[in-house]
Amino acid sequence: MDVLRAIEDSGIGIWVRESGSLWSYPTIVFLHAVGLTFVAGVNAAVDLRLLGFAPRLPLASMRGLFPVMWVGFWINALSGIALLIADATTMMVSWVFWVKIAAIVLAVVTLARIRYVLYLDPNAVAAPGGHDTVPPRLKMLAAASLFLWFAAVTAGRLTAYLGAGAVAKGGH
Amino acid sequence: MMAWVESFSHALQSTRLSWAVAGGYPWIWPMCETLHFIGMGLLVGIVGILDLRMLGVAREIVPGPLERLIPWAIGGFILNLVTGFLFFAGDPFQYIHNTVFWLKLLFIVLAGLNALAFYVTGIARRVDALRPGEPAPPSAKFIAATSLVLWIGVIYWGRMLPFLGGAF
Repeated sequence: MDVLRAIEDSGIGIWVRESGSLWSYPTIVFLHAVGLTFVAGVNAAVDLRLLGFAPRLPLASMRGLFPVMWVGFWINALSGIALLIADATTMMVSWVFWVKIAAIVLAVVTLARIRYVLYLDPNAVAAPGGHDTVPPRLKMLAAASLFLWFAAVTAGRLTAYLGAGAVAKGGH
Repeated sequence: MMAWVESFSHALQSTRLSWAVAGGYPWIWPMCETLHFIGMGLLVGIVGILDLRMLGVAREIVPGPLERLIPWAIGGFILNLVTGFLFFAGDPFQYIHNTVFWLKLLFIVLAGLNALAFYVTGIARRVDALRPGEPAPPSAKFIAATSLVLWIGVIYWGRMLPFLGGAF
């Protein structure tokens, strides 16, 4: 706990949490919402395509969305670390926070797997001249991806209401 | 106008719905917040893909077939309209005297008008006909950039509600 206390009371931690500057906590949570949109929102669109919606959208054409999702991911990794430093003593011992982290790790692994099956595998589904039919295992990955991002967003929101964060923040 | 908003807010606050959202059932507020973020991801994620495509990102995407995902974005919007109304019903007076709340509504209306302009001007038809890799016309790029700025602005005002306006 001493380590977490030291992290939380570091210069960055105090600035994010207590400076009162619009550029600290408010801007960081705003960026965290924008990043969510571009990683989880765009990934949801890819998942929906794989599950059979927008069937005439060529699978190969979605490859350009992966850098967009990575930008969203890194916005949120960086803003998330800043928020974590500011609330280290509560978040690091909050079970719902760890549910969120677990869901994100699994979602990113799932996305990497989707990318591999679509584009990198020797029998890549989206290879040039392919039939653009989505095999069942890829549909399973897409469904898992949707579920995991839903779980990550839900657990993230609930860090303020369940576990150690609820006591610290009293909701909101 | 403001007098009407005040009396509507008074009437709304006296409802059982308002009581339920404001803490009568403590799980309603966190659940609505979660759904509000899910709706945001669907709406701005899907509209954002179309905007980015017009601006030259992921240019291999053919906009026509992509627009089959727009109903999911509209679903996200409706989800946020409903959950947003529930927040308002829970405590209307923390919003109606809050400039940030009105700015958020203004940006939503402007984003809606921008989307309307995209379809009624015929720009949408030209965008739908784009081939893989083909750049969008300048008019479409203008609408796409406006759309991104406005929707990210909506997220900005929403997130600023507690910090600039004292709402939550």
